[in-house]
Amino acid sequence: MPELTMTVNGKQVTGSVEGRTLLVQFLRDSLALTGTHVGCDTSQCGACVVHVDGKPVKSCTMLALQADGRDVLTIEGLAKGGELHPMQEAFRENHGLQCGFCTPGMVMASVALVQENPDPSEEEVRHGLEGNLCRCTGYQNIVKSILSAAKVMRG
Amino acid sequence: MSVPEIGQSLPRTEDERFLTGQGNYIDDINLDGQAHAVVVRSTHAHARINAIDVAQALALDGVLLVVTPDDWKKEGFGPMPTKTAIRKGKNDMDLAEPPRHCLAMDKVRYVGEPVALVVAETAAIAIEAAELVDIDYVSLDVVVDPKKALIDGAPQLWDDIANNLCLDFELGDAAATQAAFDKADHVVTLEVFNNRVTAVPIEPRGAVASYSPETDSYLLYNATQNVHANRDTFAESVLGIEKEKLHHIAPDVGGGFGVKNGAYPEPPLILYASKRLGRAVKWINTRSESFVGDTHGRGQDSTVELALNKDGKFIALRTTTIGAIGAFCWTVGPFTPTGGSARTQGGPYGFEAMYYQAKAVFTNTHPMDPYRGAGRPEGSFQIERVVEKAARELGFDPVELRRLNLIPRDALPLKTPMGLDVDCGDFPEVFERTLKLSDRAGFDARLAASREKRLRRGFAIAPYLECTGGGPKEFAGVTFVENGTVDLAVGSQSTGMGHETAMPQILAANLGLPFDDIRYHQADTDKTPIGGGHGGSRNLEVGGSAVLQAAGEVIEKGKVLAAHIFETTPEKITFEDGAFAEPGTNHSMTMREIIDASFDPLTLPDGMEPGGLNVGSTFERGIISVPNGCHAAEVEVDPETGKINIDGYWVVDDFGTIINPMLADGQVMGGVAQGIGQALMEEAYYEEDTGQLVTGSLIDYALPRADDIPNMVLAFYEDAPTAKNPLGVKGAGEAGCCGAPPAVVNAVLDALKDYGIENISMPLTPEKVWRAIHAKG
Repeated sequence: MPELTMTVNGKQVTGSVEGRTLLVQFLRDSLALTGTHVGCDTSQCGACVVHVDGKPVKSCTMLALQADGRDVLTIEGLAKGGELHPMQEAFRENHGLQCGFCTPGMVMASVALVQENPDPSEEEVRHGLEGNLCRCTGYQNIVKSILSAAKVMRG
Repeated sequence: MSVPEIGQSLPRTEDERFLTGQGNYIDDINLDGQAHAVVVRSTHAHARINAIDVAQALALDGVLLVVTPDDWKKEGFGPMPTKTAIRKGKNDMDLAEPPRHCLAMDKVRYVGEPVALVVAETAAIAIEAAELVDIDYVSLDVVVDPKKALIDGAPQLWDDIANNLCLDFELGDAAATQAAFDKADHVVTLEVFNNRVTAVPIEPRGAVASYSPETDSYLLYNATQNVHANRDTFAESVLGIEKEKLHHIAPDVGGGFGVKNGAYPEPPLILYASKRLGRAVKWINTRSESFVGDTHGRGQDSTVELALNKDGKFIALRTTTIGAIGAFCWTVGPFTPTGGSARTQGGPYGFEAMYYQAKAVFTNTHPMDPYRGAGRPEGSFQIERVVEKAARELGFDPVELRRLNLIPRDALPLKTPMGLDVDCGDFPEVFERTLKLSDRAGFDARLAASREKRLRRGFAIAPYLECTGGGPKEFAGVTFVENGTVDLAVGSQSTGMGHETAMPQILAANLGLPFDDIRYHQADTDKTPIGGGHGGSRNLEVGGSAVLQAAGEVIEKGKVLAAHIFETTPEKITFEDGAFAEPGTNHSMTMREIIDASFDPLTLPDGMEPGGLNVGSTFERGIISVPNGCHAAEVEVDPETGKINIDGYWVVDDFGTIINPMLADGQVMGGVAQGIGQALMEEAYYEEDTGQLVTGSLIDYALPRADDIPNMVLAFYEDAPTAKNPLGVKGAGEAGCCGAPPAVVNAVLDALKDYGIENISMPLTPEKVWRAIHAKG
């Protein structure tokens, strides 16, 4: 089986995978990083969003081998030194999550959204979430969380 | 953290875990040496199984086992019974209940029905092997429309069930209703279609099973909402073992909405496989499998007749429903179109008489089971749509007609003609508050602005009344640990609603303890002797009341201990603000001090063991509660494209006492979003001739996204706590999707009223709206 090396949450990891192994499978099954979730099989739900070289990626739609040599950030690597990332903190404060299953992908997509557009309007946030599904919250508190986190992230 | 209060928006305990990727969902659980299972599902909606050839599948390297219907027959495993409370129909007719086995026996009756189970070393090998299971089907004629299924000569799903009729149900007084119709000045009739949808929690279902030969017992982790009832079904009904031999645990569950309530076939299949292989077995559904392998909801065709006097006063309501239930009764499938939709007929309006009748009908589709609301959203849609039609047809203002007919506050308590006990509330006040929130005064200006953009604008208001349901009993156990923590175990279950926060909040507030002292446990058959799980908006009503009752019992025991320490009698001890005291003396000890003392053998009275404050308390509900409220929606419709934009959304809810407003808001928002999804986007649509599910993936089934759902303005009416339970709560989980579909659909039809469009059936997709506009020219 082919070997690969990548940086995941700041640490270098190596592994051997089948050609068909998806990035999300490598993260979950080989690295036991189970925070990244699989909610569908058609790239619709976005529960599996991680960052690859700083860009949001649906890790169910990328082969592990395509991430060879890249820098991957998952939900487990977002909080630093026991401090929640402002996006995580905003979701907690604003009840931006209920069952928590879409949450890792939602938070990772939201962080990327604000990095790309530091001062988004509500409409831009709603449009920017088109790749992520939530069935619990009705999105209102997710949008509120992102707008509030954007303010903090702008400093 | 300090002592919390009831009514405080306490942030959630579970959030940090979920936000940092530390949640423990079913697919995160891996047992040593586990094998992987994949279900072989029927590709036919109706067919005889001639033969199943597993040779090629077994020959694949890494395949361990293929479980077939023959194995099931050989083992003598039983079917999974329905537990619907409604079992009798008209003329004492018994519910027709065909046997529901975990694998299709001789015939398949819907696409997605499990036919075999493949177990292999890896999930990838199991998927490949499942493709190699060769099933020889002989196709049979298919029926997916319940109206057609009732007709003589329609394809028959079950040889011994004539016309596919599961149950012919009625409630109310047919003769009194007819008499009221006879004397009415007006009768307004409407055909109402309530589209079949499915819950789509973002986490697909799955389970991991293992068997211990040493103890001859099983362990099952399962993404379910109801560990106790499903344990009983799996153990006693299917496997034929004592229920104590099956330890059933639900880890963090990623959403449920009813679809994870029922007893599904996969868990017993992997329990069996784990024993046969002597290895743990894991199974996780794909999303596409979930569409054909999870229960569906709604799916009712109704004729609604409203009788009115000439001044607009309602006098009688008659609803005749045909409800699809799919190929089997499933867990409580026949309940929804019968008792589930009957009880809240008529909503918050006054009637002299009502009659409800429904036929629950088998079709070649996935079986139905509760989906958020389970009958009440259908009832709410029926009354609000016919009221809207009556207003238009008879020339009443829709707001005035509703105002005229709302049950006044001083008429409560009352029993509706459907037998529902409505004890308290103020429907007119809730209605007026909703109107006020929704800024009627500004409507004309907004309408003019829409016209400038060549858009149509409409408004609708939809008061609703629903009721709780689910298991009437709940258990709360409080166990004090010497190091200072308090374990609270309850048999109800959160699948995202925040019980891990709200339930400790109730206990801590009542015992005067810091919130952080409480550790919460749920969904484990070893942690509580009974448990009703999730469903029917029952958690606070039944589970929360059990916690409150348990807190009271702890306090009583604390008084005994305090009296012993103070050298007095328990009747003289008070408990206030977290402290036991003897008035008139300086004797006082905090709850914490009493807990610590309860572990000191030297301070205990006779008969009290160390840790003697522990309690296990069962609460039983007498009468179901009646949440009610009012929704209002304002929409813009683009006649050129049929696209609908919800421009304003307002809700006032009467849930009785609000324990944690933040969580209650979240329940309303999520429920409204699901209601909007049903109104505008979602449909589990079966092709008529083949019984194939056309909307069988997230590409085809339109789930609302962030820009499909508006911001909602929410408020609570808190002046009518119910006396039906000690917390005064009425239930919040399902109300949102009772109010949203009628509010949205009526608002759209209001926007389109100049086109003379009387009805568009849900979902109101842009295409349907455009066609309706253009058909009318």
